[in-house]
Amino acid sequence: MNKKLLGFIPFLIFIFLCVFLYQGLFGNPRELQTGRIGQTMPSFVLPDLMDESKQWRDTDLKGDVYLLNVWGTWCPTCIAELGYLTELRERGVRIIGLYYEQAYDPDFGDQFDINALRNEVQNMLDRAGNPYQFNILDLHRTLALDLGVSGAPETFLVDANGTILLHHIGDINPRVWRAKFAPVMQELSE
Amino acid sequence: MRVLTLLFLSILSFLAYSAQDEYEFANAERAATFKALTQELRCPKCQNQNIADSDAIVAKDLRDKVLVLVNEGKSKQEVIDYMIDRYGYFVHYQPPVTPATIVLWVLPVLIVIIGFGFIVFRQKKASKKQKWNAQDEEKLAQLIKQYQRQEHNS
Repeated sequence: MNKKLLGFIPFLIFIFLCVFLYQGLFGNPRELQTGRIGQTMPSFVLPDLMDESKQWRDTDLKGDVYLLNVWGTWCPTCIAELGYLTELRERGVRIIGLYYEQAYDPDFGDQFDINALRNEVQNMLDRAGNPYQFNILDLHRTLALDLGVSGAPETFLVDANGTILLHHIGDINPRVWRAKFAPVMQELSE
Repeated sequence: MRVLTLLFLSILSFLAYSAQDEYEFANAERAATFKALTQELRCPKCQNQNIADSDAIVAKDLRDKVLVLVNEGKSKQEVIDYMIDRYGYFVHYQPPVTPATIVLWVLPVLIVIIGFGFIVFRQKKASKKQKWNAQDEEKLAQLIKQYQRQEHNS
């Protein structure tokens, strides 16, 4: 009896390993627990993308729930989500863009011209839809680093007090919105 | 063998080359801290590379930030905490001991203990099973005598 039971142990270990490895196949390694959730928005002073004389501060954003969407025209996924984000704006979601520029860095682009960039952004938003109240230009990616941004697109959900509630890595589509953002938005509006 | 040596040397020289960089430090200690940090911190974008290895723009930003912090005189742990604060525990290759990760430390020790326990338990059980009585003792004595005699005769 005991022997038979012992003989089952390798089999049980095998089953356990199979289950463990199988579920690993469907895990998303991009789903990270970054450090800023639950903390307040880091303080910053950054210019507007379209008008450098306008400066945005973290305190300017307070007072309303908003999405901070990290994007760039160089990023195809960001362009793809513009349509759905515009739809969200029309439904009353406040979306602020954090423009993530990499061509400014000599290692990642050859030339940087702010006017050319503005034109490009304007054309893109005219074509694909403009979900943004305004865009903050983070030329040196300092705010991006403070927020734990690893690339684009990424989106933060920030409440009226400036507390970061969600950090989503990847695009926002109807499925992501329903599963991740809508419940939190619902809770906030209650 | 010579080919192997050559290969080994070429790999070694490549490593030495890649470790060379354009960064400048006030002293050798800071240079060493920077090197250790860029190898220990993980790129959040190219997830299986450290930030020294990765070509992603975020890895470059992290390297630059580490450089600034190290040159400000921050200790290694302070820089690691700074990064964990922003990018989560993921960014450091050495996971901290938390309720979620405790199994990584406990499980190997547990397996060794259980394994040894099992061996000891089995041996004890096996030795208990053998019964030994006077009759066996007598037989043994007889056998010993028999073989001793054979040795004498030969």
